[in-house]
Amino acid sequence: MIEARDVSVSIGTKKIISDVDFEVKPGELAAIVGPNGSGKTTFLKALSGELAYAGRVTMNGRDLAAMKAWEAASVRAVLPQATALSFPFTVREIVKLGLSGGRTGVLAGEEEGLPERALARVDLEGFAGRFYQELSGGEQQRVQLARVLCQVWAPVLQGTPRYLFLDEPVSSLDIKHQLIIMNLARDFAARGGGVIAILHDLNLTAMFADRIFVMHRGRLAAAGSPQEVLSDELISRVFECRLKVGVLPAAGTPFVLPQSAGL
Amino acid sequence: MALDSAAGLFGMRRSLAPEGDRSVRAKFAILVLAAFLAATVLFSLASGASDASAFAVVRDWLFPSFSATDALSLRDRVIVYDIRLPRVVMGVLIGAALAVSGAVMQGLFRNPLADPGLVGVSAGASLGAVSVIVLGATVLAPLTMVLGTFTLPLAAFAGGLATTLVLYRISTRQGRTSVATMLLAGIALAAMAMAFTGVLIFMADDRQLRDLTFWSLGSLAGATWQKIGAVAPIIIVALAAMPFLARGLNALALGEATANHLGIPVQRLKYVAIVAVAAAVGASVAVSGGIGFVGIVVPHLLRLLIGPDNRYLLPASALLGASMLLLADAVSRTIVAPAELPIGIVTATVGAPFFLWILLRRRGILDL
Repeated sequence: MIEARDVSVSIGTKKIISDVDFEVKPGELAAIVGPNGSGKTTFLKALSGELAYAGRVTMNGRDLAAMKAWEAASVRAVLPQATALSFPFTVREIVKLGLSGGRTGVLAGEEEGLPERALARVDLEGFAGRFYQELSGGEQQRVQLARVLCQVWAPVLQGTPRYLFLDEPVSSLDIKHQLIIMNLARDFAARGGGVIAILHDLNLTAMFADRIFVMHRGRLAAAGSPQEVLSDELISRVFECRLKVGVLPAAGTPFVLPQSAGL
Repeated sequence: MALDSAAGLFGMRRSLAPEGDRSVRAKFAILVLAAFLAATVLFSLASGASDASAFAVVRDWLFPSFSATDALSLRDRVIVYDIRLPRVVMGVLIGAALAVSGAVMQGLFRNPLADPGLVGVSAGASLGAVSVIVLGATVLAPLTMVLGTFTLPLAAFAGGLATTLVLYRISTRQGRTSVATMLLAGIALAAMAMAFTGVLIFMADDRQLRDLTFWSLGSLAGATWQKIGAVAPIIIVALAAMPFLARGLNALALGEATANHLGIPVQRLKYVAIVAVAAAVGASVAVSGGIGFVGIVVPHLLRLLIGPDNRYLLPASALLGASMLLLADAVSRTIVAPAELPIGIVTATVGAPFFLWILLRRRGILDL
């Protein structure tokens, strides 16, 4: 389990996020939603050990502050919003960097085939020999996802809880690939991994998330299942525009529609 | 590619490597480069004003018993072992040091244009070296007493280290290195170092001026076993540290935060890289003056050939850097024979247009 208690982050004298409580268990997909600038990425950076924070974060029971880089890397993998490269790596070389920590629980014999398998999962079969810099933004994002997958995939298949931190994993993808990636994240959770994803699409969130954490102005505005969290009043207030929540008849999943009057 | 089919001939079949995996090709390239370096070394030992031949040298190594009768004359022996061999050893050490330093620095700054010569590290090292040459007998006398022959390379190392640290501090903010800032800060730092160097040269007496002129032209001509003894330990330790940086530098290509997420202790990696580069460049500058562009040309060519994976790029750079410097030295010795052209002129004549070519090919590079 990944657990955060009273986490605050200040940059200079400005408090970016205040007293956020959060948890994700193995088997869960937790979505973080909220307007631009509400502190979602900052919070994820604190969880990744990238930003100094006040409060307490534990990963599988261990205090994050006491973990070395490689220890944290063996428990969770992080997908950043975008990754620019200055050297001509091939797609396969990038994906294989996911295994560069050396403590990824991958058996020696399996290591060679893993990049291809990860690439297949993100619908990039046959891309291994292409140059990363020549791909489109959405393709690059999926290459990075394959890399991140390599880092924590093997232990999850062996039953050890591992986590994916995904910062806007689908924001540059077409709808087909949004669904492929969200299903991949769901599958990762179903096999005993935990996923934290920052998402902007509330409908995808309602469809795939077990739990939603709504952030607003650096604080947690609500947390719970999609049914509990997604209400007209709450999301209209948080996103500062008029939104209407309905329920899909068969599945009982909520959906969100903007009102034509807008603001 | 020709390289792949050649690798196939030697049983390193391409089918062993999945698509996008250049490791087999890289390993084969390293073998070829090692053979090429061996040939270059022999060629350098054999060529020169005297007709002492490489063949005779090899025969002397293999069958020393023949020497007494017809192999090497005493004159040839002196030429090969006391003049050419130290020069070749020095060329190999410095060529390897400069090329690998360039590659490591490019990895560290995440930019293919970073080069110790371009961004002022060599100028800082020069300042350190000139300080010792000019002030070694007076102000810095206590230092010279303690450190002996190591004073010059260590001072150059200190100068290079100080410049690299300042440069990194200025051009990197929140883990991102701005290329434009890096190059401009490098120009400023080099100008500053050269100004101080100028003051020292102004203070120098006649004998020191002769030393300085000889040294600052950039040449392997002054190579002696004694000088090698002073710089080889520093260069070898620095070169030995660099392979351990390879995995970390690969991850660093994705950015500092991502390297850290992959489990790389980024802060430690950066400090080790900076110290190793400063040591290798400092020691090189101390004995051979400023030899430019090796650090930018060699890694760039190799990236085109085997890709940017530092696990292969660093050793390949060491081998090709050593060969290139020996060839440049051969040119510098023969092109205006019996006089000698400073080797720095040879490397700059080839390297500067090459650098411009990189800029033309990748104009977007400065916008990074």
